[in-house]
Amino acid sequence: MLTLKHLHKSYRDPGDRPVLRDICLELQPGDYVAVVGESGSGKSTLLNLIAGLELPDSGRILLDGQDLALLDDNERTRLRRRRMGFVFQAFLLLPHLTVLDNAALSLRLNGVGHRESQQRAAALLGAVGLSAHLHRFPGTLSGGESQRVAIARALAHQPGLVLADEPTGNLDAGSASQVLDLLREQVKSRDSIGILVTHSSAAAASADRVLRLADGILRPE
Amino acid sequence: MIRALWQALVGSSLRAQPGRTLLATLAIAAGIALGYSVHLLNASADAEFRRAALQLSGEAELLVRGPRQGFDEQLYPQIATLDGIAIASPVLEFQASRDAGNAPLRIIGIDALRARELQPALVAGQSLPAAGLFEPDSIILSAAAARSHGVAAGDLLDFRAGTVTVALRVAAVLPDGSYRQPLGIMDIAAAQWRFGMTGVLHRIDIRLDGEVAAAAVQKSISALLPEGVELLTPEAENLRSAALTRAYRTNLDMLALIALFTGAFLVYSTQTLSMLRRRSQVALMRALGAPRGTVLGVLLAEGTLIGAAGAVIGIAGGFVLARQLLASVGMDLGAGYFRNLQAALHPEPAAALFFLLLGPLFALGGTLAPAIEIAGMPAARGLRAGDPDERVSAFPALAGVAAIGSAAMLLWAAPSTGLPLHGHAAIALLLAGATLAFPPAAIRLLKLARLPLPLPHALSLARLLATPRLTAIGMSSILVSFSLVVSMLLMIHSFRTSLDAWLDQVLPADIYVRAGGGGETAFLSGREQQRIASIPQLLRVEFLRSRSLLLLPGRPPVTLIARDPGVDGFSRSLPLVGAPAAPGADGPPAVWISELVADVLALQPGDPIRLPLGMQPQIFAVGGIWRDYARQNGAVVMDLADYRRITGDQTVNDVAAWLAPDARVTEISGLIRAAADDGSALEITATADLRRLSLDIFDRSFAVTWALQAAALCIGLLGVWLAFNAQALSRRREFGMLRHLGLTRREISVMLGVEGALGAAIGAACGMVAGGLIGLILIRVINRQSFHWSMDLAVPWLPLAALFTGIILCAAVAACAGAAMATRQEMTRAVREDW
Amino acid sequence: MLAAAGVLPAGAMALPPAAPFAAADPAYRMRFPHDHGSHPDFRIEWWYITGWLRTRDREDCGFQVTFFRVRPPSQVANPSRFNPEHIIIAHAAVSDRRLGKLRHVQRAARQGFGLAGSDTGNTRVWIDRWQLLRDGPLYRCWIGNRDLALDLVLETRQTPLLQGTDGYSRKGPEAGSASHYYSLPQLRASGRIRIDKTAREVEGEAWLDHEWSSSLLEPDAEGWDWIGINLADGGALMAFRMRNRRGGTLWAGGSWRDASGSVTGFRPDQIRFTPLRRWRSPLTGAEYPVSFEVLAGPLRLRLEPLMDDQENDTRATTGAVYWEGAVRALGDKREIGRGYLELTGYLRPLQI
Repeated sequence: MLTLKHLHKSYRDPGDRPVLRDICLELQPGDYVAVVGESGSGKSTLLNLIAGLELPDSGRILLDGQDLALLDDNERTRLRRRRMGFVFQAFLLLPHLTVLDNAALSLRLNGVGHRESQQRAAALLGAVGLSAHLHRFPGTLSGGESQRVAIARALAHQPGLVLADEPTGNLDAGSASQVLDLLREQVKSRDSIGILVTHSSAAAASADRVLRLADGILRPE
Repeated sequence: MIRALWQALVGSSLRAQPGRTLLATLAIAAGIALGYSVHLLNASADAEFRRAALQLSGEAELLVRGPRQGFDEQLYPQIATLDGIAIASPVLEFQASRDAGNAPLRIIGIDALRARELQPALVAGQSLPAAGLFEPDSIILSAAAARSHGVAAGDLLDFRAGTVTVALRVAAVLPDGSYRQPLGIMDIAAAQWRFGMTGVLHRIDIRLDGEVAAAAVQKSISALLPEGVELLTPEAENLRSAALTRAYRTNLDMLALIALFTGAFLVYSTQTLSMLRRRSQVALMRALGAPRGTVLGVLLAEGTLIGAAGAVIGIAGGFVLARQLLASVGMDLGAGYFRNLQAALHPEPAAALFFLLLGPLFALGGTLAPAIEIAGMPAARGLRAGDPDERVSAFPALAGVAAIGSAAMLLWAAPSTGLPLHGHAAIALLLAGATLAFPPAAIRLLKLARLPLPLPHALSLARLLATPRLTAIGMSSILVSFSLVVSMLLMIHSFRTSLDAWLDQVLPADIYVRAGGGGETAFLSGREQQRIASIPQLLRVEFLRSRSLLLLPGRPPVTLIARDPGVDGFSRSLPLVGAPAAPGADGPPAVWISELVADVLALQPGDPIRLPLGMQPQIFAVGGIWRDYARQNGAVVMDLADYRRITGDQTVNDVAAWLAPDARVTEISGLIRAAADDGSALEITATADLRRLSLDIFDRSFAVTWALQAAALCIGLLGVWLAFNAQALSRRREFGMLRHLGLTRREISVMLGVEGALGAAIGAACGMVAGGLIGLILIRVINRQSFHWSMDLAVPWLPLAALFTGIILCAAVAACAGAAMATRQEMTRAVREDW
Repeated sequence: MLAAAGVLPAGAMALPPAAPFAAADPAYRMRFPHDHGSHPDFRIEWWYITGWLRTRDREDCGFQVTFFRVRPPSQVANPSRFNPEHIIIAHAAVSDRRLGKLRHVQRAARQGFGLAGSDTGNTRVWIDRWQLLRDGPLYRCWIGNRDLALDLVLETRQTPLLQGTDGYSRKGPEAGSASHYYSLPQLRASGRIRIDKTAREVEGEAWLDHEWSSSLLEPDAEGWDWIGINLADGGALMAFRMRNRRGGTLWAGGSWRDASGSVTGFRPDQIRFTPLRRWRSPLTGAEYPVSFEVLAGPLRLRLEPLMDDQENDTRATTGAVYWEGAVRALGDKREIGRGYLELTGYLRPLQI
């Protein structure tokens, strides 16, 4: 369960207009929500706070009852490694690893053995329709294919929380809907919490709920 | 258009990364400064040699030159009266010994009346009162000689002739400009008389009258010359006096080029990385309609400018460095070759210009390939994010293999004498070939090895293996610098080990006694020898007579060493190379020649050899070939008994003595001094001291190479730093993603360190192989041909292992430091950057 | 005539004579040809030829050839064959009117190895191929290098003119400063002179001095003025004065052989040199009285130089600077003879 309680975050002087104001949110496993908002509305800041990459000025973030603010950077990093998966707009696959190795990366980082992580990643790649491309390198893939590999990487280690930051920003419409469907399907099937950050209403439509971030305040749409 | 392009491609890069541009500039500057300073010192020493030789030969058109013990003076009137001779000027020339502890002084005895026609700068003018030159106890000193012997006009200066003291009055000191090296000038009659050389000349300087063809005059002179006396032109004489240090100077010049070469590689890698980093900007400019040629021109102009800036800094720095080196270690960089050479820097505009041009040239060369590549790249591909093109071309590797092949061919076809230029060319080819061919091969090997590394280090390995080109570029500076260091280490270690063993063999006695402190005029008489031999505390005494022979045409005289063969004969007491000749029953007496003599005359054990000794040349048989690290111009050893029988000369220069078990060196020294007519003239050294002295000299002569090696390694590490620094920006998103995926900052740093270490290991391993090969060339070809010294290969395993480890650790640190900017706080934001 | 000996070791001609050298002896009577030869016991000796030559195109030029034999002051028993017992010096100069100055060549060598020396018994003195040789009535003279060469034959037409008292010529008030000195005036000269690459046939009249001594320059002497004139009537006039350091006359002497062959010697007070015109050398700054009125007994003549610049500047080699050149001797505006004038010690006191 992910709980955000009264989050405040501002970047420069305390007197400046805060980026986030009194954000409260509670998500249960299986929840799949979209956060929409203009550029600069604070979507990325919100994602970084949830991921434990930044800390709020005030308020609490609880993941399965664990308060991120009480952890040090290394502990938050470990938590991120075990419990979270990320999908980025630019895919961010390692160009020098094969599709299979990229997908298995999160498993390997969590200490799963080489053989097992390869098997599990291969299975997952089969599920996203890439079983034919296991040994290709990312540079040879299309955008849609790359993002599907990234989804496999994000989900392979069964994270409780999947954060997708504009996953369709670099994709054409066809690939985009494919990727959105896949993401939703994978998150739902694993009973994870999914948060999809986007400025595209079409993408947001794939979520259960849509929250709009405006003037630092998060409201249901 | 060009302005806009310049701003977009160069200006922005310069503003964003001023440090990197500065570093590239400094890398070129460092290479050029090192190269230029070494060359400058070297060229200045050379200029001093030439100047000194030219001043001495003056306006002479021909020289007749004999060995150190000279030739019969009757040759002088014979030559002077030949048709076509305008002036013949007789010269006596020798190193006059002084007391132990004082350096000998080179003295020329001249007939001032003849010499002033040929050497006006030395003899004529108000500076030199002709009167002084006819006084039998007068000597005129050059300013340098007066300085180094601490005397002024009017003072007395003591010399040794045999064991007799010759006191000469300093009649005058020449002004600084007339002759810069230490030199004493005497009247020829006085010099003959006072130094016991009546009837003998060393040189006749000749000017032709121009009425008879020069060739005809040369022919008629040559017909008069006895064996061992040569007719030379001043140019040939000049070359010969330079030949003594030519090999050493060539090697120094090569060191300078090596410094430049390392710098060039650094420039190449920096420029390549800098180009690749900017490929998207270039693609954007191309997409906006900038023609390819213009883009290329702008990029090349940037490289040239960086090179030019570096070159200017480098020339200035090189000059300052040379001046510092000259002041602190001397013109020979501490090697002791030009110990008595007085010198100042002679910067020649041509050389400075050459080195000045090398900067932009290297930078242009380094920029050319990557600039052509990115300027010609389709815009669409350049605009796409990700690493630069890694499609591996087989061409560089093939070119590398070809270069290595030609190096091998060069060595195989190498002549065995003369300057080892082909050896140096082979080294350059090998180095270039290794840089091109070795990293791809190493990476291929590493791929096959499937090294089982844990995460995240496996990522480092994967990246290295997947980007062979970037890896090769990043590591080329390590490869080059490490291979040079390894080769020098290998050569120096082999040399020192061989020298150590050699000293053991050539210094078997307990103490060594030398008449006078060096020079050619001091010796021990037969009576003194008997007195020394009968000292009861000496178990055994061996005597040695050394003098010079003009044996090898066009080369300085070789040293003839006549000594007792020792208890087991020369085949045991000399450090032989190869087997000695089977002793013949009633053949000619044997002499034992050093490697140089064997090389130049192409002699094998058992071959006959003619030595210009005594009244007429004598035939000897080569008993064997021995290794001589002490005399660079070659040496011939013969039995003292044979020598005395042939020449009747009973004197000796050196004594080797074995002490009774309870005898103390100080006590024995006193006894030996008492046995000589004038004991203060003897230089007595214990073997341990002699050994230490020799090894000290060796170490000192290589001291500067350590500095060069350290500089090379620093440049190599700087290359690693630059490589990681250059990639850091483009890898920030990768690091951000890994941070998201749960890697701590520390783990990322360690990953980078491992990446640097792995890369350095590849580079250093390649460098080790290349360096080993270069070291072999240095040992077997360069040294053999420069100095005619063979040495046994000895690998300094421990220092090599330590250096290997050290360079890897340093590279790891350099990699982390290079990428530090990218691993700082902000990298998580990089995942959203899209450019 | 001594000036060219500037290469001489310092003090070579100073008083007092070094012990081993012979001193000039008023009782000595010259014998010929013996005294044409060298006198090695004496410290210094020279054969000095001056004269006027004409080329085929009737261009006048002066010439001077001197061979010196000198002994360095300190003589030691050095066994070396290079031991400088005697130094031979040769010097020659020709007035080159196109250049407006003198051309000269010089060479010196120690005697020995047959390369340089001087014979006794008759005149033969040489350095390498340069030599002066007496052969019956003829002197043969060859001297030269790449720049200048003289190849002359001089024919003796008169008996030797013994200077001073029977050839004993005093040079100063002190008794010991004297030389043995004879002249051969009115020599007929012919041969070739080459300047650079141009050789020309020449003929003319010359004058030979032969003088030997061990001491002739007193410490107070600054320099001297000397003339040797072949008179047009077949007579000959020699006159000299030694100048002291205050510009006055330290000593003077001379002799005149008239057309009939009768010789008149002059006491010091019978000789007077009066400068008429001075010329300053642009090269050295020295000022020379290049034109004189000379009174010698009953004779009065005015000297006019062939050209003003007949200065020898050998500072680069020997350090000596002096004027030595061809002059015309004029009686009452009429030329009565031709000869040579030597002026030394005008730049600085002669220190040879």
